Amino acid sequence: MIVAENLARTYDMGKVIVHALRGISLTIQKGEFVGIMGASGSGKSTLLHLLGLLDKPTGGQIMLGGIDVKTLSDRKRTRFRLKRLGYVFQDYALVPELTVEENVYLTSMIRGTSKEEYQAQTLAILNRIGLADRLAHKHNELSGGQQQRVAIARAMVNKPEILFADEPCANLDSESSRNVLDLFRQINREMAQTIVMVSHEDWHMEYFDRVIILRDGLIISDGKPPEEFYQKGCNYS
Amino acid sequence: MLTDLRVSFFLALRSIIRGSRGSLYLTILIIAMVFTNMIFMPSIILGFIKVAEDQIITYQTGNILISPHEDEPFIEDAFSLQEKINRIPGVLRASVHYGTGVTLRHKGYSIGSTVVAIKPDDERLVTDVYRKIKDGYYLADGENDEIIIGIQTSGHKDESLDMGPTLGYLQAGDPVTVEYTNGVSKVYHVKGIIETGSYYADQGSYITWDELESVYGKKMDIATDIIIKTYPDAFEPDVKTQIYRFGVRENVQTWQDILEEAMGRAVQNFAMLNSITIVVSLIIAVVVLFIVIMIKTLNSRRQIGVLKALGVEKNIIIHNYVFQVLILTTIGIIVGTVLVESSVAILTVYPFRFPDGDVTPVVATSDLINNTIMLYIASFIAGYIPAWRVASEDILTAMRS
Repeated sequence: MIVAENLARTYDMGKVIVHALRGISLTIQKGEFVGIMGASGSGKSTLLHLLGLLDKPTGGQIMLGGIDVKTLSDRKRTRFRLKRLGYVFQDYALVPELTVEENVYLTSMIRGTSKEEYQAQTLAILNRIGLADRLAHKHNELSGGQQQRVAIARAMVNKPEILFADEPCANLDSESSRNVLDLFRQINREMAQTIVMVSHEDWHMEYFDRVIILRDGLIISDGKPPEEFYQKGCNYS
Repeated sequence: MLTDLRVSFFLALRSIIRGSRGSLYLTILIIAMVFTNMIFMPSIILGFIKVAEDQIITYQTGNILISPHEDEPFIEDAFSLQEKINRIPGVLRASVHYGTGVTLRHKGYSIGSTVVAIKPDDERLVTDVYRKIKDGYYLADGENDEIIIGIQTSGHKDESLDMGPTLGYLQAGDPVTVEYTNGVSKVYHVKGIIETGSYYADQGSYITWDELESVYGKKMDIATDIIIKTYPDAFEPDVKTQIYRFGVRENVQTWQDILEEAMGRAVQNFAMLNSITIVVSLIIAVVVLFIVIMIKTLNSRRQIGVLKALGVEKNIIIHNYVFQVLILTTIGIIVGTVLVESSVAILTVYPFRFPDGDVTPVVATSDLINNTIMLYIASFIAGYIPAWRVASEDILTAMRS
């Protein structure tokens, strides 16, 4: 479970101070598939980075799985990310010198999992996403959609408590995007995986259990899509 | 910790194997050339010193030289001292020398030189001059009116090979006039021409002890020096100590003492040149590796940010690049060693020609080990600093680069 209270993030740009988040409070339950949406500059990526421990808030508090992450040292935050969180990025971010299989099991290696175990886990997850026949391929031998599915496999191989996805379909065509979103929903439904995903595509809302819409660093809508969204008549884009 | 190092090594190996081939080969080549440079110069210097050692032992002084005490012109009771020395454990043979300044004349050529009187049978056991007769024969005990002359005194057929004034291509069988400082002038039959490759030895002339006594008209029991050959397993400083225990008050020097005296300053200068070469080579290695890793890390900033986001610790990322540098250095050192050994093999067949002989590089194991360690330390620093700088960036800054 994620609990954020009065979360704020301010960037000091010298003469200008930018308030990216102005005091956000939210709770995300285990097993929810949450979409964070909003126009460019609304603070959605900043919120994801704070919840995913990639950045530190200038105000407020975040509890992940009952732990106040503010108390964690940098080293413990790193271990927390490794052991309990998963990430999927917009540009896939696969390590270019590694094969599909190696990219997927890299974090398992770091966790100290035995070779037999992480190889079996990797094969299982790649089977699940339909890329088991691409084990020895490098990233430049895959399509964008396939690379993103490998990135999802990498994020999922250690069975994270929360999966964060930062605009994972931004570089994909609509068919590949739909495949990726189907995969997210499948993971969410079959594995009760908590997923927090940032998106700016309206049609992605149909996949989410819940949509949080931000504007100017504040939540302007939080509820089940699409009815509530349209009832409020919000147009963020 | 071990797991982290294993992951770092895994990433480093994959990066090297699957990264840019051109960059890999160029980096290895540069490290190999740097290593070759670090080893080659000392090996030439060592080769030069080795030649000097060999020449001193083989053609000049043997393993130990006894010369007169500084207050005296000669070693008295030379032959009884020789007998005593021959009985010392570790001594193979001592040979008594009497050197005197002379003027040599042949067909209008005239040069000042030194004639050394020897007992050829003793001398054969101490120096290898007898093996280096280019023309004619070596002396035999009891011979009179015969002389053997070094080629730098007799002169070459090709004058360009002469390093100083000569007798104009004197050959075995030719007559040569020797004028002694006591006023005796005598015509000798040249029995042989010596060519050792040692400039010092090739300048000398030798007559027998019997001939010396005939020139001075008396029994000669004094010497200007006594040279000693020890057994191969004997330790010269121990033999020197034994000689002093016999009550010898003459000056006793091992070949190392002589080399230090003769070449000490030169060796110091060589050592300084060597140090400069090594420092410059190390700076080149550090700068090249620093640039290579800096470019690699700067090009991988986003990837480094992503790895950190995924939970990969900073140390794993830094060690990854350090391992890459160490692997490149290892391959570079192996290639460099092959280059050095190949150069040594070629220069053994086609050595550098110096006045004191042919110099071939001598690669000391200690130089190989020391330079390898220095290169590894330099590589570690060159890999660590740029990797640390980029890996220390915060995640989002790195990811947005």
